[in-house]
Amino acid sequence: MQDDSIVFVIDDEQAIREALDSLFRSAGVRAMSFASVADFLGSERPDAPACLVLDVRLPGLNGLDFHGEMDELGIRVPVVFITAHGDVPMSVRAMRAGAVDFLIKPFQDQELLDAVRVGFARDRLRRASLAAMATLKERYESLTMREKEILWLVVAGQQNKQIAARLGLSVITVKLHRGQLMRKMQARSLIDLVRKTDILSRTIDRGAIH
Amino acid sequence: MIVILLSVRFCQRRGVLLFGGTCVVLTVVSLLLTRSGSPYSGSINGAISIAAIAATTYLVLKIESAQAATYAARAQLAHIARVTTLGELTASIAHEVNQPLTAVVTNGNAGLRWLAAAPPNIAEAKQVIGRIVNEAKRASEIIGRVRHLARRAPAAPDWFDINETVLATIPPVQNQLKADRILLQTELGTDLPAVHCDQVQLQQVLLNLLVNAIESLAKVGYECRELRLATSRGRGGVVVAVRDTGAGLGAELDQVFNAFYTTKPDGLGMGLSIARSIIEAHGGRIWAEVNAPRGATIQFLLPVSPKRYSSVLEKQDVVESRPQSS
Repeated sequence: MQDDSIVFVIDDEQAIREALDSLFRSAGVRAMSFASVADFLGSERPDAPACLVLDVRLPGLNGLDFHGEMDELGIRVPVVFITAHGDVPMSVRAMRAGAVDFLIKPFQDQELLDAVRVGFARDRLRRASLAAMATLKERYESLTMREKEILWLVVAGQQNKQIAARLGLSVITVKLHRGQLMRKMQARSLIDLVRKTDILSRTIDRGAIH
Repeated sequence: MIVILLSVRFCQRRGVLLFGGTCVVLTVVSLLLTRSGSPYSGSINGAISIAAIAATTYLVLKIESAQAATYAARAQLAHIARVTTLGELTASIAHEVNQPLTAVVTNGNAGLRWLAAAPPNIAEAKQVIGRIVNEAKRASEIIGRVRHLARRAPAAPDWFDINETVLATIPPVQNQLKADRILLQTELGTDLPAVHCDQVQLQQVLLNLLVNAIESLAKVGYECRELRLATSRGRGGVVVAVRDTGAGLGAELDQVFNAFYTTKPDGLGMGLSIARSIIEAHGGRIWAEVNAPRGATIQFLLPVSPKRYSSVLEKQDVVESRPQSS
């Protein structure tokens, strides 16, 4: 883990925070620790692939509840739970809510490091797809209104002739627009364009396009 | 009517009904036997009497069942409270001790990694070892605090009559005995020396044994539910035995006093373990036996101070006729 990945630790117990900090550093992992959820939320966090090691029993907001609210808060860091008094229903709840792992204190260092690595991998994947999505969106936004219009008709399976008739354009004009939008979207083929538009359509409000 | 009101104190539902029925029959008989007076007013009087008796019987039965429900609810509540408190206490202690242990394990692992690095990072390793020492101390302090907490209810040993203590533990379970139709027999030894111990703790032990016996008896048929409480002279002290004809203890006689061992589906396995620690704290011992044809006997021996009772001891050991099972 020589990259810039960082692990955030939220545990109210200073001794545990110090121990985890030393453990992560000894394994070559960057770590930042917080005594509470509020501290974590109020902190300036680096923009890097991350994983959150979260204690279940916390003063104020409980770890499981915080996990449930993370989506709303726009925090999408993968979570590894640690707890001293975990039971099966609790771990089921955590895993169902998408936690990477649920570790009972005291845990083995390798277990935690492995879980954190899985968290990093998940976060890198998420960040990569997020970045890809942003690029796609940028490209899409560079299209003219007419090109956007034609794009959706193309991916809906319409022939140039049909599109021309529908928009009251000549087939030549449609072909020109089509060539232009393929270039702008950096689509190598029709199939590539369909795939990219499919990814786009998950985030873009289609209603605003038509 | 007074008879019926009295009957509820001593009898089961059926008994009360029986008394009510008898009263009705007696009233009718007295009506038939009464020759003098007008038959008309006699029958009116008789009818009113019978109605009054019936109403009283009905109300008495109602009161009785309400009382039984109250007792049952109270017993249940007490049980829940006990289990919950103990459970919470255990969970909280476990959590408190687990935190420093987690720090110890994690620091230890980090230390191994620092030392395994090339070159080994001695400074970091030193730091984590220092933390390990501190956290281990903290864990030990927590345990010390728990011990202190447990000691906060100090034993208040005093001299008292064992038979009185035994009899004093019966009323709290009297209602349950009645509800489960358990026949209780007491066999209290005479001229027993006074024992020196904490009366509250001793009653706690006895109650625990009684409740266990009652629960065990509730599992067998009505016809063989017998509970016997006996006190006697034993070697070097006084023996108290709780003997039942219940479902028994299972095969694991030597395990029943271990913590967390239980034969009950919702049992904690703490009752007999606590009983043993109390008895042993008083210098006594507690043991279990299997009865023939069924049931179990739990008995404990409380030592009598040899200084004060040595003369009595010698005399009584000779005249002791009841066989001791110890």
